[in-house]
Amino acid sequence: MKRNRMLTLPRKRALTGFLFVLPFTAGFLLFYVNSIVTTVRMSLSEVTVGVAEGVRGMSMQWNDFFNYIRAFSQHATFKQDLTSSLLNMLIDLPLIIFFSLFMALFLNQKFRGRTVARAIFFLPVILGAPAISEAINMARALMVGGISPASAEVMASLGAGTTIDVGYYLYMLGNLAVPPVLINYIIGAVARINNVITASGVQIVIFVAALQSIAPALYEVAKIEGATSYETFWKITFPMVSPLIVTNVVYTIVDSFAKSQIVTLSYDTIFTDYNYGLGAVFSLVSSVAVCLILLMVGWLLSRRTFYHI
Amino acid sequence: MAVKVQRGQTFSEYWEFRRSRRARKLNRSRAGNALLFGLMVICGVFMVLPLVMIVNNALKPPEEIFRFPPQIFVRNPTHENFTDLFVLMSNSWVPFSRYILNTLIISGCGTAGHVLCASLAAYPLTKHRFPGAKLLFSMVILSMMFSWTVTQIPNYMIISALGINNTYLAMILPSWSYGLGLYLMKQFMEQIPDSLIESARLDGAGELGVFWRIIMPNVKPAWLTLAIFQFQVLWSNTGSLFLRDEELKPLQYAMQQIAAGGAARAGAAAAVAFVLAAIPITFFLVCQSSILETMTTSGLKE
Repeated sequence: MKRNRMLTLPRKRALTGFLFVLPFTAGFLLFYVNSIVTTVRMSLSEVTVGVAEGVRGMSMQWNDFFNYIRAFSQHATFKQDLTSSLLNMLIDLPLIIFFSLFMALFLNQKFRGRTVARAIFFLPVILGAPAISEAINMARALMVGGISPASAEVMASLGAGTTIDVGYYLYMLGNLAVPPVLINYIIGAVARINNVITASGVQIVIFVAALQSIAPALYEVAKIEGATSYETFWKITFPMVSPLIVTNVVYTIVDSFAKSQIVTLSYDTIFTDYNYGLGAVFSLVSSVAVCLILLMVGWLLSRRTFYHI
Repeated sequence: MAVKVQRGQTFSEYWEFRRSRRARKLNRSRAGNALLFGLMVICGVFMVLPLVMIVNNALKPPEEIFRFPPQIFVRNPTHENFTDLFVLMSNSWVPFSRYILNTLIISGCGTAGHVLCASLAAYPLTKHRFPGAKLLFSMVILSMMFSWTVTQIPNYMIISALGINNTYLAMILPSWSYGLGLYLMKQFMEQIPDSLIESARLDGAGELGVFWRIIMPNVKPAWLTLAIFQFQVLWSNTGSLFLRDEELKPLQYAMQQIAAGGAARAGAAAAVAFVLAAIPITFFLVCQSSILETMTTSGLKE
């Protein structure tokens, strides 16, 4: 205590701040930064695991970027997988953000029976959790009894009369001079609706939390000034949640990357083919690519974000 | 909507005029409402269906589980599956309750520690500018971009170097400093006005007091969200990487083992699936209702 008194106020503050950050930072450096550094080292070397020539555990030998050369010029599917995972991520991103903002606005409103509605529409938050989705998958597997071809047949016979001829509508849209890119995007969006719903759980919660923390006084003022609900949305709600749109974009990118093909590829390369160096390269390169995308999106959004301080 | 107040018009007349205009323009039609409602109901049914399926499966007797074509709703509900499960597990090496306890310890400690550590760290990062803050934050962002399934080997090396392999700590400690929490808390704390903190300081609050009495209540929705999120992540973890002793393994692992038993164990597996889904859903519902009930008033009069 006596020593603390000798410090100047700013230094004392800095010290307290440092103490607050310490537990997190220590764990972070120990568990996460450490792992990243090891992965970078693995990507740059020939890794042998097991007992070989007096090596116990794991040894790494520098090999002149051989892993990187292999990944980019020899590996069959790496580049394809990388581009397709990044593209999928970019397609899902706006859909998830819009859907979750819409759901959050809906859930934040006051209407009759909203407790039930909230309970139901918060379900994506839970359905996305790995434990639950595993339980669901098991329930589904039990229901079709592991005879999926038969059940597919049943589904086909059930749906035969009710299927919509999608091709016809596509043809019509094409005739109306809707650009094919847009049509493809819409088809993609419809096909992904299940993914979008299950992937937007946490985002909905974040948006609802954001909507909850808007001061009611702002709405009161707007009402007194005679703003319509449309104006209120664009002048108050949207700017106030905009910092959390950035948050949600970041979260969505992180989340969809964690489930993407490229992660599966690097996992398989490491744990099925035991090619540690190559797998490390895959995961590093894709992480860097995701970071770049994030920087770009973040830069675009940050110019429109409104910080109320 | 640019309606000017004309001379001689009283304010209430003007207001009445505007109200009538708005009423005409902005109310949805009844058909539109019905359509929206119908759409919402369809969406809602799709969302509820999987959970209905889990609950019903857990209550089905064996002949209904394997009925073809499959049915969602149970005809003759029994609690046979649950008794089967407990009989099965009480004959096994480790009692079923032990798996539940393990999962609860891991998820509970991990979630609480994570929320606390992340918010403690996020407060100075947002509201004080101290050396290295920017570096730490960008490292956290970078770490979030990294796929952690791939770093299992380095993770294992670190855990075993710390000597906490095959203990609960191997699961709990890493989860305390997971990057996403810091990021989320920081984003929310940025919304808190500085003047609120200043006024607390003027009233003689120390840093810890400001953190505990001003910051945390104000970002309650944020840390509840974080708790929900982290609880689910930890709950779903099988722990197969670090936990070798059977007495330490979590429920998720037990379910995989039971499900691997095939058709003979189908009823028990359905019961486990129910237990596995029920606890996080309960936790979620409790947290969610208090997220929605938080009425944050900024505490400022300007």
